[in-house]
Amino acid sequence: MIRRLCLFCTGLFLFCCWVPSAQAIEFPERPDGYVTDKVDLLSPETVIRLNRLLAGFERHTSNQIFIAIFPSLEGDNLEEASIRLAEKWKPGQKGKDNGVIFLIFQKEKKMRIEVGYGLEAVLPDAFVGNVIQQIVTGHFREGRYDEGVLLGVGSLMKSIGDEHQPGSGILPAMRELTPAEREAMEKRNQTIFGFVLLILLIFFIVDYIRYARYRHEHRIYKKRYGFWEWWFRFAILLFVLSMLFRIMFYMALFSRGGYYGGRSGFGGFSGGRGGGFGGGGASGGW
Amino acid sequence: MKKIFLIILGVLVLLMFLFGGRYNRLVMSEEAVTSAWAQVENVYQRRADLIPNLVETVKGYAKHERETLESVVEARSKVSKMEISSDLINNPNALAQFQSVQGELSSALSRLMVVVERYPDLKASQNFLALQTQLEGTENRITVERKRYNDAAREFNTLTRTFPNNIVAGMMGFGRKAYFKAEQGAEKAPSVSFS
Repeated sequence: MIRRLCLFCTGLFLFCCWVPSAQAIEFPERPDGYVTDKVDLLSPETVIRLNRLLAGFERHTSNQIFIAIFPSLEGDNLEEASIRLAEKWKPGQKGKDNGVIFLIFQKEKKMRIEVGYGLEAVLPDAFVGNVIQQIVTGHFREGRYDEGVLLGVGSLMKSIGDEHQPGSGILPAMRELTPAEREAMEKRNQTIFGFVLLILLIFFIVDYIRYARYRHEHRIYKKRYGFWEWWFRFAILLFVLSMLFRIMFYMALFSRGGYYGGRSGFGGFSGGRGGGFGGGGASGGW
Repeated sequence: MKKIFLIILGVLVLLMFLFGGRYNRLVMSEEAVTSAWAQVENVYQRRADLIPNLVETVKGYAKHERETLESVVEARSKVSKMEISSDLINNPNALAQFQSVQGELSSALSRLMVVVERYPDLKASQNFLALQTQLEGTENRITVERKRYNDAAREFNTLTRTFPNNIVAGMMGFGRKAYFKAEQGAEKAPSVSFS
């Protein structure tokens, strides 16, 4: 009886905790590509063209421009939704923060261009607002979404110019890893670490047993090495080996023909690279 | 004798690992709060820097709105007179005061933006449009950075108050960080509509 009461109380408590989150639109975890068009607002040709254009732009300048089109805001606030999407997809390189998101909501006829920290100097709010009001809005009002997006993105790209060149190619391995790569590396490091540990442990035990037997046969009473001494050597060996494996992993990662390509259909889109946003940009509607 | 020494050494090393890590985590978390606060100051400063220009532009078109303009200028000067130090975030009252002074500026600005509706020439001027966009952008940045600051402060406060971090925090004198309060009516960003 008491147990049931307790159960009921917990249930009630949990129910009270469960507050329907105040109209926060759920965005997909990852962008589909440079263009994420969930309502087919743009023609397929335009999507392909934009994807190619923006992939080339990223290759040459390392800047990432994403276009995201969703059916509805679902009662959410445009600016809040926009910054949340930016924080989720993180376009732009980490540290350079050179990403842009062009976000469009079809039902509310609202749009926003969110500009990363690193591009606020070349894309000031007033300029972005101008792009929306003077270029994009007019086309959108007449239903020419393809032209509106293409021209808008074009003028953004023109204004960014060659800000943020990709790092010089002396040591390509020194660039930032994407979160997915880092995760893979960490996972692999862990397995390698465990593996190395196991091998060393087996070596140690085998060696210890063999030496113990040897000592026993030859009546030697002095141990070859003490515990701490062994521990010290073990730690150093472990460190060196893990470094070696890490270097090998890096080499494997970057010798795969520049690692661009393969991941998805066009030119190797691999998602945002950790760019930061601070609410820069401008909003508009049509 | 040697054994006891070793045991003590072991315990010390263990403690160092246990508390050293926690101390470092606290320091990192506090650093995150401080840098988030620096961003907050930054965006508020940005707004303050925008105002002289805005006032000049509006003055050119709307000479009769002296009162509204003056209230903006006054609120702006109050903001710039305020002493800001990073100590502010350790003191909830100081932060509340900071917020209320900035809030006065916000409400003065929103009143100005309402007045501006009566001057079509002004609204059509490119200069004013640009300033308006910039002001909107700045208000948006303020919202974003304030939220980030609050998040960082909440994380820090949670960290310092859970066991066993609270012991380390108590020993090393990590205090609580103050929060920005939720928006009150007057604190709303000036709503500017296009159309």
